[in-house]
Amino acid sequence: MPVTVLIVDDSKLARIVAGKALAELQPEWKKIEASGADEAIEKLKSETADIALIDFNMEPRDGLELASELRALRPDMPIAIITANIQDEIIARARQVGAAFVAKPVTADALEGFLSGAALRLRSQQN
Amino acid sequence: MDELLEQFLIESRDLIAAASRDFASLARNPHGTGSIDSAFRAIHTLKGSVAIFDMGPAEQVLHAAEDILERARKGTAELDAATVASLVACLDQVDRWVDEIEKAGALLPQASDLAGQLVSGLTEASPSTPAAGSIAEAANETWVADLLAREAAALAGPNQSLTAFRYTPDADCFFRGDDPLTVVAAVPDLLSLAILPVQGKWPVAADFEPFVCLSVLEGISAAPRDKVAAAFRLMPDQVAFAVLDQSSEQAIGQNSEHEVRGNRILRVDSERVDALGDALGELLVALNGVAPLADHAATFDRSLAGRIRSVQADLERAASDLRTSVNAVRAVRLEPTLRRVPRLVREIAESLGKTVHFEITGQDIEIDKQIADGLFEPLLHLVRNAIDHGIECGNEREACGKPMVGRVSLDFHREGDAVLALLRDDGAGMDPERIRKVASERGVLSPEAAEALSDAAALRLIFAPGFSTAETVTELSGRGVGMNAVETAVEALRGTIGVESALGAGTTITMRFPANALTQRLLVIEAGGERYGISLDQIVETVGVDNDRLLPVGSGFACVLHGRTVPVLSLAGLLGARDRDQAIAKLVVTRSGGEAVALRVDGFGERIDTLVRRPTGLLASVPGVTGSALLADGGVLLVLDLPELAA
Amino acid sequence: MSVRIEKGVVYLEGRCMAEDAELLLVAIQENPQMRVDIASMLRAHMAVVQVLIAFRPTIVGEASDKFLSRHVFGPLFLGDKMPKPA
Repeated sequence: MPVTVLIVDDSKLARIVAGKALAELQPEWKKIEASGADEAIEKLKSETADIALIDFNMEPRDGLELASELRALRPDMPIAIITANIQDEIIARARQVGAAFVAKPVTADALEGFLSGAALRLRSQQN
Repeated sequence: MDELLEQFLIESRDLIAAASRDFASLARNPHGTGSIDSAFRAIHTLKGSVAIFDMGPAEQVLHAAEDILERARKGTAELDAATVASLVACLDQVDRWVDEIEKAGALLPQASDLAGQLVSGLTEASPSTPAAGSIAEAANETWVADLLAREAAALAGPNQSLTAFRYTPDADCFFRGDDPLTVVAAVPDLLSLAILPVQGKWPVAADFEPFVCLSVLEGISAAPRDKVAAAFRLMPDQVAFAVLDQSSEQAIGQNSEHEVRGNRILRVDSERVDALGDALGELLVALNGVAPLADHAATFDRSLAGRIRSVQADLERAASDLRTSVNAVRAVRLEPTLRRVPRLVREIAESLGKTVHFEITGQDIEIDKQIADGLFEPLLHLVRNAIDHGIECGNEREACGKPMVGRVSLDFHREGDAVLALLRDDGAGMDPERIRKVASERGVLSPEAAEALSDAAALRLIFAPGFSTAETVTELSGRGVGMNAVETAVEALRGTIGVESALGAGTTITMRFPANALTQRLLVIEAGGERYGISLDQIVETVGVDNDRLLPVGSGFACVLHGRTVPVLSLAGLLGARDRDQAIAKLVVTRSGGEAVALRVDGFGERIDTLVRRPTGLLASVPGVTGSALLADGGVLLVLDLPELAA
Repeated sequence: MSVRIEKGVVYLEGRCMAEDAELLLVAIQENPQMRVDIASMLRAHMAVVQVLIAFRPTIVGEASDKFLSRHVFGPLFLGDKMPKPA
């Protein structure tokens, strides 16, 4: 089951960290990287992704704006918002778009719950 | 009106006012536990009350509000400013619904849509969502006791405050990416943890769903509740807490005290109080007849006269005590009159696209019921004016270096026998020069007369009939009848109104009302061969001047008093009679439309303290008459409204 | 793979994620006498732990994770707090 994870973060360092955590948990999964919301949308025109890991703190559009755009395109896609500082207002917005949270910096431990759930969801979608 | 409905209207508005006060204090400090508890109780009771009537949408909204407060109370979700604002919006709507029930007996059809919007507004604003909250709450009563029994050993340590939690993850939480163990692992100072089957026992292997969360996690931490709650921030609706100390018993104690106080208030129909006042007025008038009786008795039996005077003194003492008591009964707090004002301010400001910070002080001051009842309309008009014409738009304010949010305050003070109301705004203020210009353009007075006015007098032109300073007539503030109508309404309550304004800094409207309106002090005067009463409140001064100091001006007369020219009108002439020719002109000076006016009378009589009845029947339609008073000899004294006569 | 079955023993190894709960459950269903070795287990998802608590197989080894060993597997060994298996 080739699973592809879209990692969106404007910091390249952060993308590498997230990629390493992903490889630790699911070494066989592939990843696509994007440095911002627009690039992410652009990449999805030529490639497919099953899961999205999106940094919250991006300009000009923040991670939740991208998440809700992705949600419209892909109602079933597991999406996580990566953030260091979870504010109540962000929690409410994330709930609306059905996104989970992954603490920043992204470690295997932090990512584990989300990837676990994402794997379950992808499996149930295939069945 | 149906008794049940009547009682509902009274109580529901009390509760709405109580909750409003709590929300106002929560807006300043969202963590005030006293206010949270008190708001919770009010909302909870109100929910019970609306359930009696066909007000499903109100019940729905209140239920959601109660939920939020309940969680804030338990510490599972903290209130923030956005949530408090949503709670206020809900309460405002329930208040409107109560108005609808009073007017039409039913809610308008759009009520359920509105309820839906409000509830989702609340849910969005609140850091917690109701989803699985009910599960956690329902179990709340017993789980703590069970946990305490199970963990007795772990609790046997040093006597410290502990926080117990019961975390019931959503069944599908694994799919969302939650790992409840990771969540619990982040609870600080975890002393003990138990993983229990949510259904009471685990399913058999054949029925076991490996990806459904079937567990409840209960634990005890040595950390304070807020620290423990922080671990559950992403799922506040799935967790319940209990602080293991004595605080719950204190809460019960406060409750019962609250109940006892409530029962001491007796609600009495205001008509009965009015009847009491009428009867007292007649008693006072009848007492006035005792003194002449004693005088008469003295002509043939001095000892009888002495006994009558002694009885008279006793009666007067008792009557005076009674009057004080009746005044106290008629006196009502201003608060019920004012309780809808904050909501209306929000609505007005919103409809004008302005942001206004509004504050009321002195609501606990008591005033005669008649005045409290009559105060609302003129006050509302003034508040509208302040927001509409006073407070500038946000960007305009910013450009002047003022805070974006305009401030309007309403302060009541007691000053001797009067109650003072000050309505202040920090808006644009009024320009006396512009008011002079507009007034002369609109023919309120000649340009020369306008120029001659002092700035303070020019500001008073806003109370003149037909004057409006607004360039655009707005939907809200009427069509130029505004301030004149306000002044008339205030004067009908035997009040006075004044205005001060500083251009660019704001406007203050000052109103002064008598605190006790039951009896009035009247000056009896003679004019055209009749006796009339004039309220002392309306009299600036009484003077006698030589006839030759009256100067003919146009078709009338004027007189210079204290260096100012005052028009002199003949009261007899105004009443359709003739003045008596006298060498000394007796003048009663009053204020009409803010300007001093002298009325010439034939003679001054005694001052009496008596009950003035509102004019009824034929008298009601006679202009210039505010009511009638009974005299001790059984005669009736007409009480004149001098400002109206002089206008 | 985090779940390895060998000669009547389920070895939970490394990070046991939610998906592993299914394999574990099937193994226990097929052989209720199955023992579970957690000596090499680094982390365990709630889904996995919930199967172990519900069916209480014999546990071999000790969890290296402090939280799991103190609050989850400690009680399992002691057997004093958990309800009887279904």
